[in-house]
Amino acid sequence: MNIRLSIISFLLLFSLVSKGQDHLTLWYNHANNLFNNKLHYDAVTEYKRVLFFDSTKSYHYSANYKIGESYKAGAKFDEAIRYFSFAELNARDREEIFQTKAQIIRANILRKTTARAVQLCDELEKDGRFVDKRDTINYWRGWAFMFANEWQSAANSFALINPSHELKLLAERTEKAKVSVTFAKVISYILPGAGAIYSGKFLSGLMSLGWNALAGYWTINSFIEKRAFDGIVVGELVWLRFYRGAIRNAEDIAIEKNLETANKSLRFLQNEYKGIKP
Amino acid sequence: MNLSKIQEIFSAQSKNYLILFALFILPFTISLSQISSDNNLLSPKNRLKFGDYLYKEKDYLRAAGEYKEYLKTSNNDTVQFKFANSFFKIGRFIEATDNFKGLFFNSLLSEEARLMFYESNFFRNNFKTFRELADQSNYKTVKYHDEIERLKFTTYFFDDAILPDENIILKPFPDSVQSQLSQFYYQKKFPKQKSITTAAIFSAIIPGAGKIYTGEIGDGITTFISTALSAYLAYTNFNADHQFRGWLFTGLTAFFYGGSIYGSAASAQIYNARIRFNFENEVKVYFEQRDYFLPKIDF
Repeated sequence: MNIRLSIISFLLLFSLVSKGQDHLTLWYNHANNLFNNKLHYDAVTEYKRVLFFDSTKSYHYSANYKIGESYKAGAKFDEAIRYFSFAELNARDREEIFQTKAQIIRANILRKTTARAVQLCDELEKDGRFVDKRDTINYWRGWAFMFANEWQSAANSFALINPSHELKLLAERTEKAKVSVTFAKVISYILPGAGAIYSGKFLSGLMSLGWNALAGYWTINSFIEKRAFDGIVVGELVWLRFYRGAIRNAEDIAIEKNLETANKSLRFLQNEYKGIKP
Repeated sequence: MNLSKIQEIFSAQSKNYLILFALFILPFTISLSQISSDNNLLSPKNRLKFGDYLYKEKDYLRAAGEYKEYLKTSNNDTVQFKFANSFFKIGRFIEATDNFKGLFFNSLLSEEARLMFYESNFFRNNFKTFRELADQSNYKTVKYHDEIERLKFTTYFFDDAILPDENIILKPFPDSVQSQLSQFYYQKKFPKQKSITTAAIFSAIIPGAGKIYTGEIGDGITTFISTALSAYLAYTNFNADHQFRGWLFTGLTAFFYGGSIYGSAASAQIYNARIRFNFENEVKVYFEQRDYFLPKIDF
């Protein structure tokens, strides 16, 4: 008799709990619909509702993960990382742990904390559970380097996946198109304006050269005419100013040129690249 | 297991078992109805629970959404207060004032709502309107009269209104802060500013002197040297019969001279703006650290 009573009670209790969970499933699906329709604010509200009423913690991984994704889509990366971390705590298997860790890396890439992203990639690589995930880890490490403007390191990471990987070739192209800031400065020390010409700004380089030649002429001419004080003052006030300006200009132009090159590649990644993006 | 079988079991057993079973099943029956109502995640009760959770998590905008739905079916002063306070917390002061107003009459939280109404208006930074509101008798609160008076006199430190007498402004504040507020009062009333005209005239007489007057000594000396040197270069080049270079350095001298006058006037303006900014910042930090001498009201 006691056994029968226990069975009845268990069935009653089970049906009550499962009824509640069914309702939660419906609500979770509703939240998913909002998420799929890119209504991220509402989706977060409903996922949070699911989490709040989920007494059995059945949705603690998936709802937290989706909240993280919603925040990431809304560019709220700090919040996104927070919820991915909650999801990681509730992950049920190796795959789920890896997915959340990868999402944390991607959010770090997007919020430009690339050093942290690379550090997380290194930690994942050392973790024995994810030996078969090396390609994915290298892929996101490559992205982190691209966002950190370290294109050669990015190319090296993508090469570990595939020596002819599309992104490896892009990173190499970008690195090759960049100019050396130090070289631009050094040649400007030797010949004012040469650094600007090296970086592709011919007019600016020629003008620098012209101003320096004129100021140099005035300085030397003053000394020839035995007006030494004039020579010193013109040399200091005019010539040296143009000379220093040419070096500074060469550096600025080289940095700007590199930035333009990097931005061009990043624009390609944003608008034309078909693979997975952070 | 169908009903007839259960009845069969009961009929076969003793009365004690029946009582035992009844006692056992009763809580389940009650909880069944309870749980089925709990299953509706959008029931007012669940809305309130979820709203309170969000409020505690400081997710105020979402909490306001839940409270709004809850208030459509139930009238609860605490919830309405929290609803208005959610807007206050996220800096939506217009909505906060509107909703605090709803608690002015026939509410146990009337006094608190009035105080929060004034606080919301204060943080809208329209201090002139705030002072007018503070003087309106129909919104006044007895319990928090002193707090509102303090807020009203605090506004004088933040805008350009004519300062009342020192004793009037400082009266509502505690003794412990009187000397500091008195210092602020005099800083506000007699700011240590530099005259823009004086700076420009100084530089017109001696290039760079205006900058030295505004405290930029290095800049002033540099300006003086550059103007003097370029004037000297113009003179020597004319003497050496280098007309082009002579005129070039004359132009440069005129540029330095004009720049020195303009720069000195701008420097005085920047100096005054810096003094004002630093003062406002100092006052703001001082009041913020003391929560504007306001009591903490929350649930």
